[in-house]
Amino acid sequence: MEGFLPPLWAAIWWIVALPFVIYGFVRLKQTIDENKDALPLLGICGALIFILSALKLPSVTGSCSHPTGTGLSAIVFGPFITAIIGFIVLLFQALFLAHGGLSTLGANTFSMAICGPFLGYYVYRALKDTKINIYITVFIAVALADLFTYVITALELALAVPAGEVGFIGLFITFLGVFAVTQIPLAILEGAVLALVFKYIVDIKPDIITKMKIFSEEQIHAARGKIQ
Amino acid sequence: MKYQFEIIVGLIVILFIGTFLYTSSINPDAEFGGSDGVGSAVVSELTGIPEDDVKPLIPQWAPPSGEIESGLFALQAAFGGVILGLGFGYLIGQRTTQ
Repeated sequence: MEGFLPPLWAAIWWIVALPFVIYGFVRLKQTIDENKDALPLLGICGALIFILSALKLPSVTGSCSHPTGTGLSAIVFGPFITAIIGFIVLLFQALFLAHGGLSTLGANTFSMAICGPFLGYYVYRALKDTKINIYITVFIAVALADLFTYVITALELALAVPAGEVGFIGLFITFLGVFAVTQIPLAILEGAVLALVFKYIVDIKPDIITKMKIFSEEQIHAARGKIQ
Repeated sequence: MKYQFEIIVGLIVILFIGTFLYTSSINPDAEFGGSDGVGSAVVSELTGIPEDDVKPLIPQWAPPSGEIESGLFALQAAFGGVILGLGFGYLIGQRTTQ
C-alpha cells in the first residue's frame, strides 16, 4: 500500500509509533538482562510473528490477507516488546518484499505491532483472573489482536482518503469490509494455532509461565486436568 | 481424551479450508489477490488517481517478479521456523537435563 498514504498521515503515524518502538527496545533489553530463561520464549514468540505474517491466506471475501502472530507475544512479553519485534518484521517486509514501505512503516507498525498487541494484552488481562480456561483466554486474546490490527488499518485509510459524499463513517465501513471481514476466519485460525503453541509451552515448561506471572499455578493445573 | 486440543485445532483448520473451497467454488471469479490490492483499488476509485500512478514516497526496491517475492516470503517463514525450532528445542532440552 506504499504511496497511498499522504505524506502528512505517513509522518503522523511514524511519530505516534516511534515512542512505542523505542520504549519496547528498552524493555526488551531489561527483560533479557533480568531473566535469561525468557530468551527461548522470546525466540518462539518472535518467530511466530515472522512465520505467520509471511503466510498469505485466502479468505471468504475472495481476497487474501495474512495473520499477524502478535497476540502470543503480547500476552507473554507485553505490548511494548511486541511493538519492537513487529517493527523489525515490518521493516524486513518493507525493505526486501515491497510489502508495505518505508513511509507507511509507521502506520503499519501502529496497526500491527502496537494497536493489535495492546488490545490482545488488555483482553488477556481482563480474562486472566476469571474462571475461563487459560487456553480459551489465549485464543480470544490472539484472535482479537489479529482482527483489531485490520480494524485500525481500515481506520488509517479512512482518515487519509478524502471522504467525499460517503462521509468518514461510510468510508470506514467500506475499508472494514475490505480488511476486517477478510480477516475474521484468519483471526479464528490464528487464535486456535497460537493457543495450541501456548499449550505446548505450558506442557514443556510450566514453571516459566508462573515465573513470568502470565498465569498462576492453579490455573495451569486446572487447565491441564481438563485438556490434554 | 488425549490430543483433544489438537483435534479441535485440526477441525478449525479443516473448517477454514472448507470455507475457502466452498467460496471459491460458488464464486469462480474470485481472484484471491491481496486485500491490500483491493484496498488500493478502493482508494484509487475515491481519489481518482489511477493505481499505477501511485508511487512510493520513499523510493524502494521491489521484487522483480511474483516468484521472487514468494521466495523471499518463504525465506522469512523459514527463518521464523528455524528460530521457533531453536526455542522449543532449548526448552525441551532443558527439561530433559533437569
